[in-house]
Amino acid sequence: MDGVDILIVVGRVLAVFVLLLVTTIFNVWLERKTIADMQNRVGPDRAGPFGLLQTVADGLKLFFKEQINPSKVEYGMFVLAPFLAVIPALLLFMVVPFGRPFTIGGREVLLQGADLNVGVLFILAMSSLAVYAVVLAGWSSGSKYPLLGAVRATAQAISYEAAIGLSIVSVVMFSSTRAGGTLSLAGIVESQAGTYLGFLPRWNLFPQVVAFVIFFLAIIAETNRAPFDLVEAEQELVGGFHTEYSGMRFAMYQLAEYMNIFSMSAICATLFLGGWNGPTFDGQIPAWVSAVLPTVWLLIKTYAVIFAFFWIRATMPRLRYDQLMQIGWKRLIPAALVWLILSTVAISVRQFGLPWSA
Amino acid sequence: MGFEIDYLAIAPELILVATIVMVLVLDFVLPRRAKYFTAIASVLGVTFAALPLLILAVDGGSREMFDGSYTVDTFALVLKGLFIVAGYLVLLMSVSYIEGDRYYQGEYYFLILCSILGSLVMASSRDLIVLFIGLELTTAPLFMLAGWRKGDMKSNEASLKYYILGVLSTALMLFGMSLVFGLTGEVSFDGIREGIGDAAAGDASTALGLAVLLIIVGFGFKVSAVPFHFWAPDTYEGAPTPVTAYLSVNSKAAGFVGMLILMYLALPGASNYWAPALWIMAAASMTIGNLAALRQQNIVRLLAYSSIAQAGFMLVPFAAAAVSGTDLSEAFSATVVYLVIYSIMNLGAFAVVIAGARKTGTGDIDGWAGLGSYDARLGVLAAVFFFSLAGIPPLAGWFAKFVMFRSVMIAGGVSTVALAVIAAVNSVIAFYYYARVVKSIWLDGAPATALGDRADTPAGSLRLALIIAGVLTVLVGIYPTLASVFGDASRVLAAG
Amino acid sequence: MNLGDWISQPVNWVFTLLALASAYSGVRVVTSQNVIRAALFLVGALASSAGLFLLLSAEFVALTLVLVYIGAVIVLFLFGIMITRAPLGRDVALDHKRRAPAAITSIILFAVLSWASIRAFAGREVTGVGDATDTRLLGEALLGRFVVPFEVVSFLLLAALIGGITLARKDLSPAEEEAREAT
Repeated sequence: MDGVDILIVVGRVLAVFVLLLVTTIFNVWLERKTIADMQNRVGPDRAGPFGLLQTVADGLKLFFKEQINPSKVEYGMFVLAPFLAVIPALLLFMVVPFGRPFTIGGREVLLQGADLNVGVLFILAMSSLAVYAVVLAGWSSGSKYPLLGAVRATAQAISYEAAIGLSIVSVVMFSSTRAGGTLSLAGIVESQAGTYLGFLPRWNLFPQVVAFVIFFLAIIAETNRAPFDLVEAEQELVGGFHTEYSGMRFAMYQLAEYMNIFSMSAICATLFLGGWNGPTFDGQIPAWVSAVLPTVWLLIKTYAVIFAFFWIRATMPRLRYDQLMQIGWKRLIPAALVWLILSTVAISVRQFGLPWSA
Repeated sequence: MGFEIDYLAIAPELILVATIVMVLVLDFVLPRRAKYFTAIASVLGVTFAALPLLILAVDGGSREMFDGSYTVDTFALVLKGLFIVAGYLVLLMSVSYIEGDRYYQGEYYFLILCSILGSLVMASSRDLIVLFIGLELTTAPLFMLAGWRKGDMKSNEASLKYYILGVLSTALMLFGMSLVFGLTGEVSFDGIREGIGDAAAGDASTALGLAVLLIIVGFGFKVSAVPFHFWAPDTYEGAPTPVTAYLSVNSKAAGFVGMLILMYLALPGASNYWAPALWIMAAASMTIGNLAALRQQNIVRLLAYSSIAQAGFMLVPFAAAAVSGTDLSEAFSATVVYLVIYSIMNLGAFAVVIAGARKTGTGDIDGWAGLGSYDARLGVLAAVFFFSLAGIPPLAGWFAKFVMFRSVMIAGGVSTVALAVIAAVNSVIAFYYYARVVKSIWLDGAPATALGDRADTPAGSLRLALIIAGVLTVLVGIYPTLASVFGDASRVLAAG
Repeated sequence: MNLGDWISQPVNWVFTLLALASAYSGVRVVTSQNVIRAALFLVGALASSAGLFLLLSAEFVALTLVLVYIGAVIVLFLFGIMITRAPLGRDVALDHKRRAPAAITSIILFAVLSWASIRAFAGREVTGVGDATDTRLLGEALLGRFVVPFEVVSFLLLAALIGGITLARKDLSPAEEEAREAT
């Protein structure tokens, strides 16, 4: 490994950060515009063209606001908690391959923060770490509403993590029949190259449609988005776990939330929608376009998922807490288990034949 | 790569697993008044699990699986038989007890069956990991079963004490095992035995000694040997009585078996560390257990201390042989014979306690005065089991003591003779307090408050348990060869 | 290996850092005066152990440690603490009158264990560290050579789960039970 290699690694990591931050700024605006449209409003339209700079303006305002320290907080944890929210959110995207590897000057450049052997596990680990930010914020605020919000968040995160994990397991098992068994996201993307019957892309979505539905519902809950946003149910809990936060610390929670939405949608696109796979028209168009196209495909797929997030938020009422738990434990997890068993049976019959045909 | 699985060899475990699942499902679908079907299912399941054992025993030979980490040989079969029979008796004792009060029946049988499954797995283990997991599955359900009488503070205390000390001992044992693994780089007993020679010689000897001691401490808790016995009396007293019976027989036997096969198969090279430790534990358990038992008024506490003392007796042959450096095979078979006989008669004693406590409405020895005068059959059985525990011929207990002393005599040596003398003195002490119970039942007059006319005969299942245990106790006492068969079987392990 | 060589290897620096972090958090778990802080130090201890596993290129174990212990077990601890009581500041009930004997015992135990371990393992170098173990091999070992303990553990967990729920749940009166069955 020489200097150039290190430069490439640093470049990759920087690219991930920049991509995340830029899309986050864009996503906030997009959400407000989308929902405004759906509700027959105009939405932000003052700062910049189409109000695009609205998020920047909001960010600047929050940045210069006073950061209030209520008198009963546990100071250290109170300050630390927002960072704990942002760090896993940043790391989460690290393992997502956001473009086709390309060769430049004899070196292969992966468009991915880090290609871990156990990328899938890394996703699960990072998304489970995100809970700490909420729990610690709730506890260290020394106030009732944040605590209640934190308790809700913990229960919710634990419940839906199980569903996420189980639905990913069936995807991993399914792609192992093609790519020879891998927990790396790059491997899972590669296993989805090509088409069924010549026209249908070989996405995991089609054979694993139940897992996709479960995964999608669970990531909405995991990112605390409507209709699963009980953590910050204003009517019941003022502002939820971040009631006592203000200024930049508050902004960090918002930042983390939108980064999580983007990362989770990208992961969803990677696991189920073929990742960066798509027609690249190699040789028919300029080479640099072919190199960029996979990233564009991934972004399109990701934004399709993100749009579904917004759409659901605009149309669905918030669930009651017991309904949330019911859906998690009594619907999604059993469904994921049954689906896991079914797909295991199907995969092993395809691979080893029927038990009596040995 | 695949491992061939010998399904016949693991059939008992598989049947038990099927039973466990069935009990859970039954408990889920049955209405409350029909929950006793879970008991029937458990008893039947355990019975069926014994059948493949017979086939395997007739078939003979040793079946090894998974690189020898799971071995079904005659020795394992004997112990599996013991665990299954003891579990069967405990299940029979539980039926009326658990049904009588408002317990959770399905879950109770589920946990007991899980524990039996654990002991079956452990009997076959020839590998640290299998051994450890098996042992944990044997004991972990008991942490919860000890607290099954939720409304009773004593039961809660029992559960908590057992849990905390059990977890501590597990941690110590695991640390010892990890040191052994670190020193030899092996988890299988064969590998450890071969690797231990280098470890015992060089600088690693300190770590090896420490590892062995930590493992002994861990097992010491499980078999409630002095000085790791503090949990036993309180836990035995507070736990539901069938659970206590199970604790004092299956879980203790599992601990013994684990300790002995580990020491004998994996760590013979470190016997200079564990032999003195076992010697001290044997002497202390016998003495302290017996002396404390003398002062007990409650019959369950008396049996608790008695079981501590019996653990000491069981340790004697192995400790003696290891200290004197003679062949361990004789000691091994003596211990197994003792274990088998102890299990049967101790279960019988607990069955009597359950029936007697129902009859007299008390667990105090004085409260049992004159029991023989109004329930002669129960009185006779009580006498049989308690005299057998004391080692009076022609009941089974004498043969247990006989093989123990015989193996000590074979070993010879000063420290061994000292241990034999301690054992002999303790046998006499033990006779006193066992006899005191029998005296109270037969010779003391019934108190005026005695409910002698209560037409409360034990439930059918409990009666069956009493009959089986009683018949076996008398039979083995008269035809000791029955039990020595088991001893011979374990000698096979020693030879191979 | 002399000290100079030892220091010149960055992996030793990382190890020292992780080991110190692990030891410090371990001590603070016990001495912390606040349950939640203790739980968080436990997170620190576990995280540094995960780091040690990463140093040994055991990615799978490291991430499993993070996922299961930090991501689930401690979160459940915190959850349990928060729905019962969520103390801020010092919690007197956590202190103990017999701190001194406990401290002495632990120091002696530590001394003995480290002495024995140092004597036994001082000369050995860590070998076989390199590329991460293939997760496939891990899976094959778990479902091949170690399939019995692997399956038995699931019963252990099931037993703990069911037993725990049974002990902790609120008992219904017979009437309530009937009513529930009727529905």
